[in-house]
Amino acid sequence: MLFQSILIGLVAVFMVLDSRMLGRLNFERPLITCTIVGLIMGNVETGLLVGAQMEMITLGMMSIGASGVDMNIGAITGCALVITSGASIETALTIAVPMTLLDQLLTTVADIIRIQLCHMCDGYVEKSQYAMARRVHILFGPLVYSVFKFIPVFFAVYFGNDLINTIVNAVPEFIMSGVSLGANLISFFGFAMLLSTMINKKNAVFFFLGFVIAAYSGLGLTAIAVISIVVTVLLYQIKFGNSSSSLQAAGADIDELDELDDELDD
Amino acid sequence: MSKKGLEIQRNYPLNKKVKEFFWGGWCMQALWNYERQMNTAFMWGISKTIDRLYPDPEEDEKKKEAYRRSLEFFNITPQFGAFVLGLTAAMEEEYADNPETFDPKMINSVKVALMGPLSGIGDSLFQGTVRVIAMSIGISLAQQGSILGPILAMLISFGVSFPITWFGAKLGYLNGQKYLEQISKSNLMDKIMYGCSVAGLMVIGGMVASLVNITTPLAYGEALQLQVILDGIMPKLIPLALTGVMYFLVKKGVKPMVVIISCFIVGIILNYFGILAI
Repeated sequence: MLFQSILIGLVAVFMVLDSRMLGRLNFERPLITCTIVGLIMGNVETGLLVGAQMEMITLGMMSIGASGVDMNIGAITGCALVITSGASIETALTIAVPMTLLDQLLTTVADIIRIQLCHMCDGYVEKSQYAMARRVHILFGPLVYSVFKFIPVFFAVYFGNDLINTIVNAVPEFIMSGVSLGANLISFFGFAMLLSTMINKKNAVFFFLGFVIAAYSGLGLTAIAVISIVVTVLLYQIKFGNSSSSLQAAGADIDELDELDDELDD
Repeated sequence: MSKKGLEIQRNYPLNKKVKEFFWGGWCMQALWNYERQMNTAFMWGISKTIDRLYPDPEEDEKKKEAYRRSLEFFNITPQFGAFVLGLTAAMEEEYADNPETFDPKMINSVKVALMGPLSGIGDSLFQGTVRVIAMSIGISLAQQGSILGPILAMLISFGVSFPITWFGAKLGYLNGQKYLEQISKSNLMDKIMYGCSVAGLMVIGGMVASLVNITTPLAYGEALQLQVILDGIMPKLIPLALTGVMYFLVKKGVKPMVVIISCFIVGIILNYFGILAI
C-alpha cells in the first residue's frame, strides 16, 4: 500500500508537470491520469470508468492563467480510493470535491513561495550568476509544484481508505444517489463555462446545430466531432475560399498550409 | 567586440536554436508567479541566445541588461510562447548587430503586443477546441471500456501541440516580423478564431445532448408522464435548460467552488423529491 501510494503521488506529479513542462498536452486530464491510476492499482476498467466520469464533469473547466478551478488532484485521489475501497464510481466525485478545496489551499502557499523564487531569479541575474537563475526556473519551480501535489495525494491515498469506507457505510442511500445527481449537474456548469468563452450572438447557432444533431439522431460524440470538423472546413471554404487566391505571398501560403494541417490534426 | 558573439550565434545550428525555443515554450509555466507570471520562463528560453551573443566577460553589463529585459512580465499560451521566443531572439540578434540604431525597447513592446492576441487564440484553439474534441472522443471510447480512449486523446493533443510549437519557434526566429505582417494582412487570427468557434461550439452542443442524460421521473398516473411530453417537444430539453441556467450563473460571475457545492445540495434535494434523475 505504501508503495502504491507513492506511485499515485507520482501520478499527481506527472499531472502537474504536464502543464508546467510539456506546454499542457492534456495529459493532466482525469481521463488520462485516472487510467494510469487504474494501471498502477491493477484495475484498468475502473480507472477508465472513473476517468470518463470525472472527465465528463470537468470537461468544461478551463484554467486560463490564474483563474478557473481544476479538479485534477481530486480526480486522481478519488479514483485511487474508489479502487482500493471498492466504492461506487460516483464516490470518486464526492472525494474529489474536498480534495480540490485542500489543493486550492496548498496552492496558495505554493503561490507565495513562487513569488520569492521569482525574486531569487532577479537576484542571481544582478550578481551575474546566470546559470543559477536558469536553475531556479527549470529546477526549483517544478520542484515546488511537485512537492505540493505529491504530499496531499500521498497522504489521502495512504490514510483515506478506512475513512472512505466509514463514510460510505454511514451515509444513507438517498444521499449517495443525490450526490451523484449533483455530480452530473456540475458537468453542465462546465459546459456553460466553456460556452461563455466562445459564444456570441452570431455563432450561437453552431451550438444549437451540434445540440440538435446529437439530440435527434442519438449519434455519439465521436460522430459529432467528425461532423463539426467537416462543417468547419466547408464553411471555411465558403467564407474565405475566394479571398485566399489573392494572397499569393510566400508567408500567406504557409499560413494556409499550417491551418489545413491543424484542421486535419483536429 | 560584440561582433564575435554575433558570429557565434549565427553559426550555431538552426535546429538547436529552435529546440531551445521549443522547450522554452513548453516550460512556460514552470515557475508561474503572480507577480510577473511567465517571466522566468521567458528568460530561460532565451538565455542561451543571450549567452552566445555576449560571450566576453567585458560585455557583462550588456548581457545583464538583456537578461533583465527578458525578466519583464510575460504571459502566453505555452505553445505560442515558442514563436515569441524565436521572434525575440531574432530581435536580440538585430540589436547586438546594430546597438546604435536599434532601440532595445522595441523588443519588449513587441512581446507585450503579442501577449493578448496570441493568448486569446491559443486558449480557444488548445483548451477550447483541441482539448474538447480530443477528450470527447476519448470519453466515448473509455465509457465502452476501451483503453484506446485515453490513448487517442493523448495522441490528438500531442499531434496538434508538437508541430505548432516546433514550427512556430522556427517561423518566429527566421521570419517572425514579416510573418506578423502577413498574419495581420490576411486576417489569419480572425479565420482561426472562426474555425475554432464553429468546431468547438458544435461539439459543446453535442456534449450537452449526449454526455449526461438527466430526466424527470415526475408523473401523474400512467397517462401523464412529464418526460414523455418533453420528449415529444424535443429530446434532451432538460439538459439544454440546465445548460441555460448554468450559463446564466457563469455570466453572473458566481464562484466555481460555490456552484460545485450548491450542485450537490440541489442534487440531493431534487433526487429526494423525485424531480430529477439520471
